[in-house]
Amino acid sequence: MARDSAIPPESFDEILAWLNPDRDVAAQMYVQLRHDLAKLFMWGRCTDPEGMTDETFDRVAKKVHEVRQSYQGDPRLYFRAVANNLIKENFKKIKTQVSLDDVDLPAQQTIETAEETADIEECLQSCLRKLDSEKRKLILAYYAKEKQAKIDHRHELAQRFGISVETLRVRVFRIRASIEECIESCLKRKAPRK
Amino acid sequence: MKEELLTDALLREFLLGKVDEEERERIEGLFLTDSQARERILGAEQDLIEDYLENSLTEEDKDLFFERFGQTSAQQRQLQINQSLKDWALREAASTHTVSAKVSTLSRLRDLFRLRPAFVIPIVVTAMIVIAVVAVWLSSRREQQDRYQAIEQELVRLNTPSSLREFPPNMSSLDLSPVTVRSVEQESEIKKTAETQLIELRLPWTKREHYSAYRAEVRLVGGDELFTIPNVQAEDDGVYRIRMRLPAYSLRRGHYRVRLTGITPDGGAGLTEEYTFAVNE
Repeated sequence: MARDSAIPPESFDEILAWLNPDRDVAAQMYVQLRHDLAKLFMWGRCTDPEGMTDETFDRVAKKVHEVRQSYQGDPRLYFRAVANNLIKENFKKIKTQVSLDDVDLPAQQTIETAEETADIEECLQSCLRKLDSEKRKLILAYYAKEKQAKIDHRHELAQRFGISVETLRVRVFRIRASIEECIESCLKRKAPRK
Repeated sequence: MKEELLTDALLREFLLGKVDEEERERIEGLFLTDSQARERILGAEQDLIEDYLENSLTEEDKDLFFERFGQTSAQQRQLQINQSLKDWALREAASTHTVSAKVSTLSRLRDLFRLRPAFVIPIVVTAMIVIAVVAVWLSSRREQQDRYQAIEQELVRLNTPSSLREFPPNMSSLDLSPVTVRSVEQESEIKKTAETQLIELRLPWTKREHYSAYRAEVRLVGGDELFTIPNVQAEDDGVYRIRMRLPAYSLRRGHYRVRLTGITPDGGAGLTEEYTFAVNE
């Protein structure tokens, strides 16, 4: 579960300055970096990616002043190194807990309820209605086939648009990301009513 | 060390945790610092999720996938969103398939005009008639699709757990029994009156295996209409059963078949039961 990060304002400013001298650009990089680190934690099989992202920033904040003077290269790679250490620590902790307490795997505690699933379906329909018609058509065409037929179909689709399959995938990825964002907000709006 | 070195196969290995430490560091570094690489990796992640939902992964990869993408409730929600999006696209594609076939035929006719200029005038006249007929047909087809889409949205709304807790007036209920090889019972029948707005079907689930959610399909026997409710849940008040509501206007006079399919925790299809009923007006 995500927790509030307690980074002192001066350290936060220093992190931003380290990321980029332009504060506006730095702020965008900060938001992106948080998002990307959470992904790394997810791929690293951590069950609390948001919380561990906070912890990464807390740890960097404590050292940013001295590290910044000597570190060579893209500062985001330093964040990755800190995140990587956290993933290793997390693994060790889980192994110890499993052997000592024989705890259940988290998957068994987090099965979706049918009610949530119905909410997702409702939100999806509402978000698709908000999507402009060209994007809606593209998403529909992209996901219209499955398995082997899907691969041929996407090649045809890319040819029709005069772009590569890779570019098509990125285009669809962006639309899908906006749909997911819309669904997440829709679910959040529904949550307080329950 | 640029993103050109990121092939789909390598990214898939990375996402499933099959690459060594050095390669992982390289890919993660690119993910954080190169926006094009980030989009490629997220695209590969999307393909992997699709393959999982289509049950196209090997058993080993399926386990590795679930360890990374199906552990937390947020991840399971992501999977559910993806599944719902795919289901929607497949449903829509199935309903517009016939229209596309007609449009392809028209394209072939257009090519014919170009190849044989001597026949242009009679062909143009014929084509105009065909186009007029197809336009009328497309318009009625569009109306049919809009109606179909409206009904599917209404079905989702009517069958959320909160809606099912309400008992509106003008609702008729019908208890059905599962169809078995040895079924000899007379088919249940519902009589639709002008006042009937909602029809509730009560479907006992007799299989030993229970699921947290079920997919329901309602089909008019001999017709081409198929309505799907992606998620309905069972209740257990002495009888383990699924309650499902349909707007009365969506049902025509005739025989209907309902199929319930259990949804397994990984989103796959479980056991099914079938029921039949007739509608009279």
